[in-house]
Order: sequence, then C-alpha cells, then structure tokens
Amino acid sequence: MKKATILTVVGHYLARASQILLLMVVASTAWAQIPVFEIEIREHLFFPAEFEIPANQKIKLIIYNRDATPEEFESYELNREKVIVGNSQGVVFIGPLKPGEYPFFGEFNLKTALGKIIVK
Amino acid sequence: MTDAVVIVLREVLEAMLLICMLMASSTAMGYRFKWMALALLLGVCGATVYALRLEQISMAFDGFGQEIVNSTLLIAIAVLLAAHNFFAVKQFLDPKYRIPYGPILLVFVGTVSMAMTREGAEIYLYGYSYGVLAGNISSVFSGGAIGVGIGLSMGTFFYYALKSLPRNKRLITCCVVSLVLAAGMMGQAALYLAQADLLPSQEPLWDTSNVFAEASLVGELLHAAIGYEASPSLTQVLLYVGSILTSLAAMLAAWLLYRKSNDVAVGATQ
Repeated sequence: MKKATILTVVGHYLARASQILLLMVVASTAWAQIPVFEIEIREHLFFPAEFEIPANQKIKLIIYNRDATPEEFESYELNREKVIVGNSQGVVFIGPLKPGEYPFFGEFNLKTALGKIIVK
Repeated sequence: MTDAVVIVLREVLEAMLLICMLMASSTAMGYRFKWMALALLLGVCGATVYALRLEQISMAFDGFGQEIVNSTLLIAIAVLLAAHNFFAVKQFLDPKYRIPYGPILLVFVGTVSMAMTREGAEIYLYGYSYGVLAGNISSVFSGGAIGVGIGLSMGTFFYYALKSLPRNKRLITCCVVSLVLAAGMMGQAALYLAQADLLPSQEPLWDTSNVFAEASLVGELLHAAIGYEASPSLTQVLLYVGSILTSLAAMLAAWLLYRKSNDVAVGATQ
C-alpha cells in the first residue's frame, strides 16, 4: 500500500513537471526567431554578392528584384531555385548548413549574376 | 546567344526525356500519337498562363505559391508515372489487352502537359523579358531555337533507341525510365517544399560534385535523366527512394492482379 502511495505521489509530480516542460518547449519554439537576410538584384548583379550566415541554422532570405526583368535565384550547392519577376521580391528558406562556401547564381544572367553565401 | 542556348536546353531536356519515353511506351501499348496534339496544346497553354500569372502565383500562399504549384505538378506527374507503370505491366502480362483510352489519355496527356507547363513557363519568361522586351529578339530566339534543336535531336535518338526494342522489352524499359524520372521529380518536389519551409531541410547527406559537378554537361544530363543531385538532403533522398518504392509497388500490384500461370507469362515473348 505504502509503495503504491509513493508511486502515485511521484507520478503526480512527474506529470506536473512534464506539463511545465512541454509548455516551455512550445513557448520557446514560438519565440525562436529565424534570422532574416536580404539581398538585392540590380542590373543583373547581386548586392551583396557575398554574405555570411550562421552555421547549422535555418535562415530566411528575402530577394528583392529591383530590375524590370525576371531573374531566377538558383544554387546547386544550396538546392534552391526560385523565379522572381521584375520589380518584385521572393523569399526562400536556406539551411541548416555546415560551414563552407555555397555559390549561387541568377540563371537568366549567368555571366554577371553570381554570388556566394559564406557559412561560419 | 549562348546564354539562351543553355537556358532553353536545360528546360527542354527535362521535358523531352519524359515525352520520348511516353511516345515509345504508347507504341508498345498499341496507341499512336494522337494524344500528343492535345498534350502539346495544353502544355503550351499551361506554360503561358503560368508565366503571365507568375507574380500573383508567387505571392499566394504567404509568398510560396511558386513552390506549392511546382511541387504539386511534380508530385502529380510522379503519381501518373506510377499509374503508367501499372498499366504497362498489365499490358506486358496480357498482350491482347487494350488499355482503356480514358485512363491512358489522362496519364500521357497529364504528365506531358504538366511537365511542359513547368519548363515552358521559364522559357516563356526568359524569351519575353530578355528577348522581346530587351529588343534582343534575334539573338535570344535563335539561341532558343538551337537549344530546342539540340533537345529534339537528343530526344529523337532516345525515342528511336527505345523503339528499336521488341515490344515487351520496350514496355519494361519504359517502366524503368518512368520510375527513374518520377523519382527525380519527387526529389525536386522535396527541394521546393524545403525551400518554402513546408518540409524539413537538412545539411546535404553527401557531396559528389567532385565526381559529377551539377553545372557540367554530364551533371546536367544526369539531372534531367535521373534527377541527379550532387548534395541532396535527407528529405530529398527519402522522397526519391519513396517514389521508387511507389512505382515498384504499382508494378507489383499489376503483376499480382493480372498474372496468369507462370507458364503463360514466360511463353509470352516477342
């Protein structure tokens, strides 16, 4: 009988503790911000052409196309591709990535629209 | 002009392999190419609508409309290709069977028009913005024509290679090609869904870009043919393998449903 009572009490407190823990986890994911980075396409070039992002973290990249012509933001290493029509913007999520250099390019302007994301 | 050749060729190649495989498959199923007219018409219409409405489509779904539409098209094509394999195995087991026109029309026309919608929209956008609007019509269009020409000749070679096979071998080879193309499509769908944060994204599982760089000619051909990715994520690999398993399951289902006794199946050679 005594054992059962102890188990019941312990079980009760464990249940309470796990409820609080769950609440904390859920709240923290809601509060966790995904870093946002911005890049511009102007005259078939990327500005900035190179930028750094933190390693092992998902980030949000906003691409502003200031040209009137569409561009396709593409990268083999990042496994991303998105067409952004002229005078418009697009969003892609990138990562999590290991440290290194990840080139990207504009498919419609392969000679000029080149860039690199440096992951540190 | 060489820019236009490369850009158009990349898009054309992906759709071309699918179209030529289906053409060869339809001859093995006893159908000719009447379906192609409808498929091409729907494909061109789809591509035009997609390109003209791309801004609105991209803004939909919290800015991820492009990813949703692309991945939906890709998944739908992969499912239809699994259905193709189901019918092909049934045809293989029963040479006298004639697949009902409705379902097979859906498979052939659906896959081709959806593939053309995706690839064609990019070609339309590029051609219109960098050709017509930029006043570069002759250089962009002749480059594009060369790209299409190269794609067509590769496709013709591929089609006749398949056509040269005897009927039963052709069916099974088309099933293998279809299985692989569908897997590549699903891998790409995973790319779009991860980009939109609808599927988890991870670090690449491996990196074979020193073996076959994706930007090289071989890499591009492998990408169009088998959906080759030099550095795929786990999600991409899972969807790729999942697609292969789905296609195999469709083929197994047809085999289990429609096989007669083993002797008859073995005897049906051609």
